[in-house]
Amino acid sequence: MKVRKFTALLLVLVMVLALCACGSGTEQSSEPSTQPTQQGSSSGTEQSGGDNEQSGGDSEQQGDTGSELAGTYDITVWVPEAAVELTKTQIGNFNSSNEYGITINATVEPVSEADAANNMITDVAAGGDIFFFAQDQLSRMIQAGAVGKLGQGAAQTVSANNDAGTVMAATAGGDIYAYPLTSDNGYFMYYDKSVITDESHLGSMEALIADCEAAGKLFSFQLDDNAWYLASFFFGAGCHNEWTYAEDGTTIEKIDDDFNSPNGIIACKGLKKLLSSPAYNNSSDVSAFANGSAIVVSGTWGYKDALDILGDNLGAAELPSFEVDGQSYHLGSYSGCKLLGVKPQEDAKTGAALNQLALYLTGKDCQMERFQETTWGPSNLEAQADPSVSTPALVAYAAQSAYAVPQPVIPGGWWEFAQVIAIDVKNAADETGYQAALDKYQQSLDALMG
Amino acid sequence: MKRYSDMEFLRLSKWQKFLYKLVSFLVGIPLGIGRFFKKIGIAVKNGVLRVVSELKDIGVTFVHGDWKTKVSYVVMGFGNIARGQVLRGLLFLLFEAVFIFYMVTTGGYWLSKLGTLGTQGPESVYDPIYDTNTTVYHDNSFKILLYGVLTIFFIVAFIYTWWVNVRQNKLAEQIIKSGKKLKSGKDDLKSLVDDQFHKTLLALPMVGILVFTVLPIVFMVLVAFTNYDGSHNGYSNALFTWVGLKNFSTLFSWSSAGSTQSMSATFGEILVWTLMWAFFATFTNYFLGMGVAMAINKKGIRLKKMWRTILVMTVAIPQFISLLYVSKMFAADGLINQMLLSLGWIKQALPFWTDPTWARITVIIINIWIGIPYLMLITTGILMNIPADLYESAKIDGANAWQQFHKITLPYMLFITGPYLLTSFTGNMNNFNVIYLLTGGGPTNAAASGAAGTVGHTDLLITWLFKITTGSDSQYYLAAVVGIMVFVVVAIISLVVYNVLPSIKNEEDYQ
Amino acid sequence: MKNEKRHMGLKATNRLSNTAIYILLVVISVVWLLPFVFILLQSFRVESTWQVGYVIPQQWGFDNYIRLWNSDFKRWYLNTLIIALFSAVLVTVIQLCMSYTLSRFRFKMRGPLMRFMLILGMFPGMLTMIILYRVLADLGLTQANAVPGLILVGVASSGMGYYVSKGFFDTIPKSLDEAARVDGATRFQVLYKIILPLAKPIVIYTILTAFMGPWGDFVFARYVAMGTSAGYNVAVGMYSWLTNDQINSWYTTFCAGGVMVALPVTILFLCLQKYYVEGVTGGAVKG
Repeated sequence: MKVRKFTALLLVLVMVLALCACGSGTEQSSEPSTQPTQQGSSSGTEQSGGDNEQSGGDSEQQGDTGSELAGTYDITVWVPEAAVELTKTQIGNFNSSNEYGITINATVEPVSEADAANNMITDVAAGGDIFFFAQDQLSRMIQAGAVGKLGQGAAQTVSANNDAGTVMAATAGGDIYAYPLTSDNGYFMYYDKSVITDESHLGSMEALIADCEAAGKLFSFQLDDNAWYLASFFFGAGCHNEWTYAEDGTTIEKIDDDFNSPNGIIACKGLKKLLSSPAYNNSSDVSAFANGSAIVVSGTWGYKDALDILGDNLGAAELPSFEVDGQSYHLGSYSGCKLLGVKPQEDAKTGAALNQLALYLTGKDCQMERFQETTWGPSNLEAQADPSVSTPALVAYAAQSAYAVPQPVIPGGWWEFAQVIAIDVKNAADETGYQAALDKYQQSLDALMG
Repeated sequence: MKRYSDMEFLRLSKWQKFLYKLVSFLVGIPLGIGRFFKKIGIAVKNGVLRVVSELKDIGVTFVHGDWKTKVSYVVMGFGNIARGQVLRGLLFLLFEAVFIFYMVTTGGYWLSKLGTLGTQGPESVYDPIYDTNTTVYHDNSFKILLYGVLTIFFIVAFIYTWWVNVRQNKLAEQIIKSGKKLKSGKDDLKSLVDDQFHKTLLALPMVGILVFTVLPIVFMVLVAFTNYDGSHNGYSNALFTWVGLKNFSTLFSWSSAGSTQSMSATFGEILVWTLMWAFFATFTNYFLGMGVAMAINKKGIRLKKMWRTILVMTVAIPQFISLLYVSKMFAADGLINQMLLSLGWIKQALPFWTDPTWARITVIIINIWIGIPYLMLITTGILMNIPADLYESAKIDGANAWQQFHKITLPYMLFITGPYLLTSFTGNMNNFNVIYLLTGGGPTNAAASGAAGTVGHTDLLITWLFKITTGSDSQYYLAAVVGIMVFVVVAIISLVVYNVLPSIKNEEDYQ
Repeated sequence: MKNEKRHMGLKATNRLSNTAIYILLVVISVVWLLPFVFILLQSFRVESTWQVGYVIPQQWGFDNYIRLWNSDFKRWYLNTLIIALFSAVLVTVIQLCMSYTLSRFRFKMRGPLMRFMLILGMFPGMLTMIILYRVLADLGLTQANAVPGLILVGVASSGMGYYVSKGFFDTIPKSLDEAARVDGATRFQVLYKIILPLAKPIVIYTILTAFMGPWGDFVFARYVAMGTSAGYNVAVGMYSWLTNDQINSWYTTFCAGGVMVALPVTILFLCLQKYYVEGVTGGAVKG
């Protein structure tokens, strides 16, 4: 009877120990302005904590930042698998060449762009200090506090050196939040020359669908569950979709969107043509060529694999036009980019040093190297002008870009509800159905404004 | 309804018996629920009475106790030490010291912030010297809630220990008065492997469950009363705070913009499919698994071991490998469609994953593929345990194979595996892997999707929950509400079934 | 004569039904094994891209296994093996403590405790992941330290899964305990000397399931590793090869990895199948 308490005690004691362990870890954060986000991370961050105190003292005395940045910084860098080795080399080059005496001691981890965004949003503190991500995630990143506004100098450099579309992609509420890394994140059409034998068909969606149906082949276009591709029809029909943000970069001030309009109905009609064809296949993966597809709408990243499958039969071209009520509309597209993000640091000195590294990694030389290694199309204006920067995929991308809309910062929710239009159109019988689909879209859109 | 006595019941026709059973089951549900709440009421009442009497007892003990006991009210374990139970006393004392130390250093801080979950969020500060923006972090709502709850756990544990301490003093006084000897520290230790052995065995598992299961669940329930989401993540953008019952009313009344139906309709729709899925997934596996086991067990079938091994091998391969492969096999441009097309059997790819009904049937069929080996293993052993003479006498009576199955095998199996069926049903309701890896919830349910996120036709409540937390707005608070609703549904089902199944109620009968 | 004929008829129908069963079993075996054979074949395919319209590789080779060896896979494999081994030992200890106690002892809190855990089990686990992640992050057991973190969470919450082994203990007659107690054995001795030897199937069953679990855990493990390759287990690591831009170049390697993962688990499973069956039939049915 009595000894039951003994075990109760034992139990509680273990809990005490657990609490003490937590307690000692959390004490720091109960004092304001120390670093709650850095607890429990590797020894690397402890060191930057040390730097923090140092710079706190120094920055009060000195105004000149140049030589002040000298020091060693332990950071984590997240890049996609394909760029890991290259990034290591580039950071090494930065260490030996930079004029500030900055030494970056980087752990480069292979993290895909999608994972990088999700991880950063889940836990900013544990996230990489520098990471690559696709621009459609920018609004979520800003919202999560995973990226911060660039300094004035950095903002000027970025907007001067990169093409206007990518600068816009990195801008929200008038401020730049990230560093453009590539400018090739759009889509166009790969096709199998052995099926599409008549090049004059390339301009007409109807002719291409007929070719595919006749040959028993598929027309792959990921419309069912991806608003990024779906928007193609709406831009083709002349719709637009623009966003204005308040200064905080997250509050939406104005949405200028006319998907729900007569033009939107035209887009739905074009959409229905493809969706109702037996040749339609919901995919944007070039490996579909190995499975009976004659056409795949995809981007530059699929070029190498498509070449592996089709060899000489691979063709790349701008998207075709579709015809509604006797009039022809050229399919539009998004043109976007990949961005490099820098996690907001807690001390200004580290932040400034990372800014230098970020500028270097997104500069002309690094972008050229990256093109050669991975064929990522550069966003840097000088690099773009370089004659060596060209593949058939980039040529097709450039041809399509005349019809492309530079992708702005779009809130995450939009991607989710906009994609539903495709299913609604698929199920709709006539124009009333299309209108109902667009009305629903409009309601969701209005809800975003709260 | 009329209640039949046993004799009357036996006289009914088969159809009447069935009807009677069905009606009494349905009538039983509200009664069972009523009984359940009555039980809870009684438990609460008893609990309150108990606390009152204990409080009285504590007072009485203080008044009548000797000075050692009185000191123990402030200095825990003093009485034990003074009466020679040094080991116990020191543990009490140590616990009190640690508690006070913890409360003073950190516990107090978390507790004081718990009401607001923090007041000052992080801010972005421009540093003109370095021309860079830095973030200054302040309060952390997540940690405040987490450690606040832990601190409350700790306080409860302290109050309990203090009470134990008081009672021990009282008991010790009584024992000394009656002239017996108190247990020494050595006795205490010894009994821990003997008559108190269960406490030793349970201590570690229970601590683990407390910290890694109970704490997260309490936390999750509390999140349902906050506005914790992607734009209020509690530390790196904005703090979250208490919002009361708002989230529940959101789920029940709010019509999600852009979707043609309200949130509660969406919830209902997913719930219905979840129950359908759980039903089919459980029973198709159950009967087909039993069938396969019986086929292998049949007399005269050779290579029994080999057949079993082939099926069992599939259990050993991680699902994320096999399911991903199978999922792609059924795609519009997947292996199966391509094969059928090239054979000329079909003209157009079969919509395995694109048509709602097809997709639902396909996931159930693929789930059979996964589930049969387990069920085959489980039922094999039970089938072999059925006394052979039952079948012998049935054969003599001229029963055919179907009658033998219907009259002997099935009742026996259902009786033995009743509890398993229940756990497997609730397990299937929460079967995340199969749906996530096969369809990811798709195809999109256009009517239910809207500004609050996309919902698919094969989404279970659990995958919907996952989508809510990982979706663009990371609405943790909504996920918490849905989580609580899932709990309520599972709990009701379990309660009903438990009250119907005989083999669970009479646990002791088995031993 | 007549009797004999009837006997013959019975035999004939029996043979017929056996033939039907054989056909059924062959079909089932093919359907069940085919996807795995396909995966095995893919792992020897040299030409890349993940979807090809055929099953038999055009070019055979060990390229994928070599690539696997040169990637981080070794590290992930080792991580998983460590987690699996620790789990196998610790989870078994915890679950046996739990189930033995709840099967054999009758104490005041037993009923409430079992009911409490039943209720806990009804909450969907999905949501608690984010909280567990934060707790681990505060303890410093995420990212590079994900391995101990995953072991801790797996082991700490394993007490909840006591049902199967409790069911098994329930089938061991209580009279054995009582006889030993009368002979003066302590509770501990009863457990150690009498019950454990009888409980061999359930012990092996528990070890086996605890060992197998970590190989397929990717949702929570992905949270905990949080983009740090050194903390990945095989499932998380291999999953990272399946993103849109990776899958075409890594898919065949993924299959090779799948084979490597399936291999030890399958072998272990086949060797211990007998105990698994005994454990599961003794325990699972009685919840």
